[in-house]
Amino acid sequence: MSSPKRPLPLAVRITALVGIAILAVFLVFGWLIERTIDQHFMEQDSAVLKEAAAVVEDILFQHWPAEDIDMLQRKLDRALPGRLGVICKLSKPSSEVIYASPEFRGRGSPGDLEVLTVITADNLRMWRDGQNLYRGIRLKLSAPEAAPSSYYLVTLALEISAHRKFMKSYRHTLWASTLLAALVGICGVWVGVGRGLAPLRRVSNRIRGVSSDRLHVRLELDAAPIELVELAASFNDMMQRVETSYQRLSNFAADIAHELRTPVTNLMTQTQVALSKGRGVEEYREVLYSGLEEFERISKMIDDMLLLARTESGLGRLSLEKVSLRQEVQDLLDYFEAWAEAQGVSLTLKGRCRKVRGDRMMLRRAVSNLLSNAIRHTPEGGTVSVSLCDTPGFAVVSVANPGPGIPPEHLSRVFDRFYRVDDSRCRTDEGAGLGLAIVKSIVEAHGGCIAANSEQNHTQFVMKMPGK
Amino acid sequence: MKLLVVEDEAKTREYLRKGLTEAGFVVDTAANGLDGRHLAMTEQFDLIVMDIMLPDLDGWRLLASLREAGNATPVLFLTARDSVSDRVQGLESGADDYLVKPFAFSELLARVRNILRRGLAPLSGNQLSVGDLTLDVSRRSARRGDADIQLTTKEFTLLELFVRRQGEVLPRSLIASQVWDMNFDSDTNVIDVAVRRLRMKVDDGHDIKLIQTVRGMGYRLDVRNELP
Repeated sequence: MSSPKRPLPLAVRITALVGIAILAVFLVFGWLIERTIDQHFMEQDSAVLKEAAAVVEDILFQHWPAEDIDMLQRKLDRALPGRLGVICKLSKPSSEVIYASPEFRGRGSPGDLEVLTVITADNLRMWRDGQNLYRGIRLKLSAPEAAPSSYYLVTLALEISAHRKFMKSYRHTLWASTLLAALVGICGVWVGVGRGLAPLRRVSNRIRGVSSDRLHVRLELDAAPIELVELAASFNDMMQRVETSYQRLSNFAADIAHELRTPVTNLMTQTQVALSKGRGVEEYREVLYSGLEEFERISKMIDDMLLLARTESGLGRLSLEKVSLRQEVQDLLDYFEAWAEAQGVSLTLKGRCRKVRGDRMMLRRAVSNLLSNAIRHTPEGGTVSVSLCDTPGFAVVSVANPGPGIPPEHLSRVFDRFYRVDDSRCRTDEGAGLGLAIVKSIVEAHGGCIAANSEQNHTQFVMKMPGK
Repeated sequence: MKLLVVEDEAKTREYLRKGLTEAGFVVDTAANGLDGRHLAMTEQFDLIVMDIMLPDLDGWRLLASLREAGNATPVLFLTARDSVSDRVQGLESGADDYLVKPFAFSELLARVRNILRRGLAPLSGNQLSVGDLTLDVSRRSARRGDADIQLTTKEFTLLELFVRRQGEVLPRSLIASQVWDMNFDSDTNVIDVAVRRLRMKVDDGHDIKLIQTVRGMGYRLDVRNELP
């Protein structure tokens, strides 16, 4: 059994998404702050270096071209340390060093620094020297009126490990606080989602209460959050359908048991009575005949119930052809004619209607049940009239008969299974009360509809079938 | 006439054997598909009555294997399943007829005789007669003794059915389907009324009643008046 992979729980999904969002926001924020601080340090450094460069330039140009190296060194010594940790190295193009701060002594400045002419925050370079980290620049200084070949190279640098340290601890703090904030956020979201999904849990608890004896459960649409209203509404619709079908089925099952109880009781009783003492051949024969009648009744009921079950499973099981309803009615009238005449009832047929597509045997059966009902309930001397007509899209067959009529309280229920209008539940030549239920299920299986209406002295059944 | 009954339900099998034997047939029985096939292949039968739902080899497959082996014995299916597709499958698979349980024994008997009659030459001639009743099929007229009987079209068809199958009990369902093409029980006594009318026209005023009611089974036309 390979089942499809279960998607992550909603709470986990939402929490993860929100958590990622929170983390991302914090990280971007932290990175921006870091960039800003870094930028600020660089601006600051370049300002300091600019100032230092100006000082160096002043000192150089006062004594241009520098002859007195000693004096130059002294002046620089005096001027520079005051400029917050700027170190400096002055050399001629011939690499002869004129001046070097203590940090540069005995060591060369990084040799790969390109020579620039202006200082901006962006063209500062960084290099490491042992423990120290420097940010600096190499400039070409030449007096305005000097020859192009006559210039000095000055390397200026600031020790910035303090900045680095600060940045490092800042970054630690940033990470820690980001993580902490994300954790707090995620916990908050987790709790929030949990609370947010509570209505869903309530709904599912209510649904869990559904069982075959508690099909009346419905979800309260007003109490549901707007997102769940649609779900709740479709659930309620489904439950309505399930309950109706279930109700009908269980009623049907009860009715079947009830209907079968009578003939089976009769059979058992009469057989036991017959066996209770010796009897003549004629008597035994009577018992068998009477049993046969009961069996036929049961058999007929079984047939009808199977037919109902079959038609209710829909059109897929029917064999469809083009059917002329007029022809079917005509054949049925021929069939019933003798019987109707014996009861003093006459039959008439008028009108025409379009052909329908359906199962001929089934349709014939439906019309037959309507006709036999009508004939049976017509008083002597009355006329059962069948009329056919077309309405847009439908062929209409109506069967009308005079007679006592069906009381209004029964009218809506005449199509129910096992429903009989007279409560005496007499079982003369009437069936088990499935006749009209069969008509209804056949008509509906064909996509048609049937209605009954009855007045004081006139009853009419109208069957509408979708036309070809 | 020799029949084979293939049915796994013991009670049903025994009663079919008894009933068919008493109706004048020689009956062999088998309780499952494999035995049924073996019997059908080794002996000559005029008709096989078989249940579709058999424990080992179901009716469809049994029938198919018989036809494959070139055995053309007519087959009548019995089934508890009643659906259009089953019915269609039953007739398409080469079964000759099909009966849904619960069925009346008289119905089964009528159908068995119907299938067996198919193999015979059609009844020749336009004249059918039983005792002093004669039917002219082409003119659709009937006489009893020396008097004409006035019959409607359906009445004549009904009488012709009785005469052609004289001596056989015809269940109401068979009459309804043969004469009116109504293949269902209409829970009315339409057939009784029709037969009663025909009987008035055919038998009234005659000592010998040709059309007889067989209680619990149906109707029969016979010159001998032997009620069971």
